[in-house]
Amino acid sequence: MSVIEDRTTAELQIDGETVVFSPVETLLAVARRHRREVPTLCYDPRLDPFGGCRLCVVELEGVRNPVASCARAAEPGMVVRTHGEALDKHRKTLLEMVCSENRQIDVEPLSGYASQELAELADRYQARTGRFQGRQSGKSKQDDDNPFILRDYDQCISCYRCVRVCAEQEGDYAISVKNRGFDTQITVEFDGLLKDSSCTFCGQCVQTCPTGALADRKALRAVDLPGEVVKTRTICTYCGVGCSVDALTKGDKLVGIQPAMDGPANQGALCIKGQYAFDFVQHEDRLSTPLMRGDDGELHPASWDDALDRAAQGFLDARDKHGRHSVYAVASGRAPHEAAYTTQRFIRAGFWTNHIDNCSRA
Amino acid sequence: MSTPTNAELVARWKAEPAPLLPLLHAFHDRDGHLSDEALREVSAALRMPLADLFGTVSFYHHFARFPPGASAPRVCTGPVCRLLGGEELLDAMRKHGATPMACAGRCDEPVPVLTAHDVHVGLAADALERRPSPLPVPNPGGLPECVFESIREPGRATLDGYRRSGGYEALSAALGGSPDAVIDALKDSGLAGRGGAGFPTGVKWRAVADETRGPKTIVCNADEGEPGCFKDRVLMDHDPHAVLEGMALAGFATGAATGFIYLRYEYPETHAILERAIAEAEAAGMLGDAIGGTTFAFRIHVRRGAGAYICGEEGSLLNSLEGKHPFPRERPPFPVSHGYDDLPTVVNNVETLASVPPIVRRGGDWYRGLGLGDHAGTKLISLSGDIERPGNYEVPIGLPLRTLLHDWAGGAPGGRLIQAVTMAGISGGFLAGDDLEVTLDEPSVRAAHSMLGAGGIMVFDDTRDMVAVAHSCMEFFAHESCGKCFPCRIGTQRLTERLATAAGAAGPAQLGDWRAEVEDIGAVMKATSACGLGMAAPLVTESLLRYWPERVAAHVASRAT
Ligand SMILES: Cc1cc2nc3c(=O)[nH]c(=O)nc-3n(C[C@H](O)[C@H](O)[C@H](O)COP(=O)(O)O)c2cc1C
Ligand code: SF4
Ligand code: SF4
Ligand code: SF4
Ligand code: FES
Repeated sequence: MSVIEDRTTAELQIDGETVVFSPVETLLAVARRHRREVPTLCYDPRLDPFGGCRLCVVELEGVRNPVASCARAAEPGMVVRTHGEALDKHRKTLLEMVCSENRQIDVEPLSGYASQELAELADRYQARTGRFQGRQSGKSKQDDDNPFILRDYDQCISCYRCVRVCAEQEGDYAISVKNRGFDTQITVEFDGLLKDSSCTFCGQCVQTCPTGALADRKALRAVDLPGEVVKTRTICTYCGVGCSVDALTKGDKLVGIQPAMDGPANQGALCIKGQYAFDFVQHEDRLSTPLMRGDDGELHPASWDDALDRAAQGFLDARDKHGRHSVYAVASGRAPHEAAYTTQRFIRAGFWTNHIDNCSRA
Repeated sequence: MSTPTNAELVARWKAEPAPLLPLLHAFHDRDGHLSDEALREVSAALRMPLADLFGTVSFYHHFARFPPGASAPRVCTGPVCRLLGGEELLDAMRKHGATPMACAGRCDEPVPVLTAHDVHVGLAADALERRPSPLPVPNPGGLPECVFESIREPGRATLDGYRRSGGYEALSAALGGSPDAVIDALKDSGLAGRGGAGFPTGVKWRAVADETRGPKTIVCNADEGEPGCFKDRVLMDHDPHAVLEGMALAGFATGAATGFIYLRYEYPETHAILERAIAEAEAAGMLGDAIGGTTFAFRIHVRRGAGAYICGEEGSLLNSLEGKHPFPRERPPFPVSHGYDDLPTVVNNVETLASVPPIVRRGGDWYRGLGLGDHAGTKLISLSGDIERPGNYEVPIGLPLRTLLHDWAGGAPGGRLIQAVTMAGISGGFLAGDDLEVTLDEPSVRAAHSMLGAGGIMVFDDTRDMVAVAHSCMEFFAHESCGKCFPCRIGTQRLTERLATAAGAAGPAQLGDWRAEVEDIGAVMKATSACGLGMAAPLVTESLLRYWPERVAAHVASRAT
């Protein structure tokens, strides 16, 4: 049997409907592709299946207990039920239980991309009942005053998404799990500060956290700013990778950045620059017009024509005095092809030197 | 003997298979704790992220990060030791830095106290003594046995003694035949896993033998963390070669050349006994290269755990061996195809493996015939608590529980009545009343909403407060829950809070609400937990509510005031 035949004949049943799946899919993936609302909290499609929250359990004919659909490979002939009285009851109980271990369920949406997941599920399953009272888990790391990542572990539900994204997606292995059972605590080496660990402040843990336990401290500066948060899709302006991001604005103020999970180049990943280094955009020191140094030694606003003439003269003087190899250009990785091409023409044809490079060559 | 340097410790273990645990133990033994410097050394040597190592070390109860560390005594406060006065002993020893530990697998002796590599037992701080693990009494029913048949022979733990009573004959004979013959004998015997899950051993070995990927591995599960279970210890202490021979047979039958014994931390003398037996067997050519003059090679490595009940669960055990965080693994895939290093692996309990040499020597039918009625074979039962003659018994499967309790073990001391027993250690919850009429086989015990499991039975007489017993059982599960999955991580905690009377109590004051919460938690744990720990823990509350509803009502009422 050829692989192609295999694919088209692989069928299983979901809630009575016969559906086709591909050999690498999990039951969760198949169910979601067919618009079943299977709840999850420990799931991030970019990470290896983990099977922690157990909200995704589905009934599988022939198997006594419900199975975690996120971790179960689809197989031909399976008969699956994604909803039903027993499953919904279990999901509600699990959500009531997990709500009982936290200080609060509602958190500020600026906290991070996934920060509303717990609150949304608690609403969907009417799990704000206050049942299962008892000790709370997780302890906030209040002495970590880094400017980027709030570590409010009072809100942590031990889904390990942060740990796994840091290892699997970033390869940083900065975050880990301490203790066990209800005493589980998200930590870093020797319980220290993020800045003393191997963290690169990419913010991926923040963006995958479903409760706001890890939160975007920079965005949270704008909590009290009036207005709705508006998301605008754009591309990070820093380097040639070209990560897709959503710029968060309130009014005309840029207040934060969130990764675009469907970004073709990054699939939700970002680095510290794209994630956090946006203050320059509306910074008061940012140049909005060319400046030229006057005879008084100070910088003064000037027109583009005057400024470009001055720059051209500078290049020519340098070449005449030090030779053609005294000029070197680095094209910006964020510049379009046409601009990069023009830059190398400018250097090669203009100065007769090969001293041309691009910042995304690294 | 001079103290080894960091570099010497690293050099000793770095190239060994499954090096993380022994390397950590090497530092822990040298320094008495795992310092920051030690963790940095190990992290660099094994190329393991420091954050992961730091977190994983904290998972294990017995790895200390600071002095006094290993030299501070740990006193067993398991369910049976509590009856014996374990908590009083702990209090008396607190001035020596003593801390509690979960059931240490010596429920048939006075309270065990563990210090570094020594276990002493006793009831008073100034009257602690070292004792070998008690030998089983001769079979009280006069019935034929399998694993205990020769264990009482003098010198059985030595190679010579073992050989005098038929030892290594099965391996020698098997090497002259085919691997399939070994597996067929097992299938005929009806032997099923004795570690709790009861999976047919022949089927497991067949599956590993049929795998084309390799190298394959044999893992002997000697973690024996279930409270009330101490049967694997007596086998390893008094018949270690039977376990080694069983592992070698598994290697021959499935095509594996490496075996690990994953031994719980609390059995340090057993560790020494096993290492000595391995050295003897290697010297005699029954382990190592060219076994019995054939091309078959098989080596066994002992790996000492560090205090985590969940590391007896096979996925967690494999992660622990591999140096990963010891969470259970999602299944499928199962260890037979994706075990140690993601390669085909047999994981078997000590008792299962020790049963193999007699079965291979005497045939599957012989073993099958040891059971009563339609049941195949025998099972070791560790009996403890309020019972006249605690200890290990080899029973034919299908023996009435009452026969064991009363005829074999003398009933409750002082003429008191047996109120309840636990099953499967504590993983089967309680049996009481008419359910004490069960026979010791899975179908009968399961019909009573419990399970036989690994065969630990703790007895509680009619003076015992079963809510308090249930609380201590649930406290154990909460302490040992790995924290991977929501239902168990939160559920064991919430159930413990609901069973508590004073410190740490929480939950509804109304009986109806209390019951509804406890039942809902139990239901979700049984249905959705990621491993057997979370599925089994609510059997404790379920059986408590079934047999003693009025005691539960009084408990809830007493907390409301
Ligand atoms: C929480 C938990 C703890 C376990 N502890 C042990 C143990 O200490 N020893 C053991 O042999 N099996 C233990 N098991 C069962 C193992 O996962 C596995 O089924 C067994 O080792 C297989 O060997 P067997 O087929 O010979 O019984 C445990 C299972 C669970 C869920
Ligand atoms: S901090 Fe957030 S992402 Fe990390 S384990 Fe806790 S809830 Fe999950
Ligand atoms: S600077 Fe960072 S976030 Fe921006 S495009 Fe490059 S890799 Fe992506
Ligand atoms: S059931 Fe308990 S021990 Fe098992 S995986 Fe879940 S949290 Fe861990
Ligand atoms: S999404 Fe499957 S267990 Fe959490």
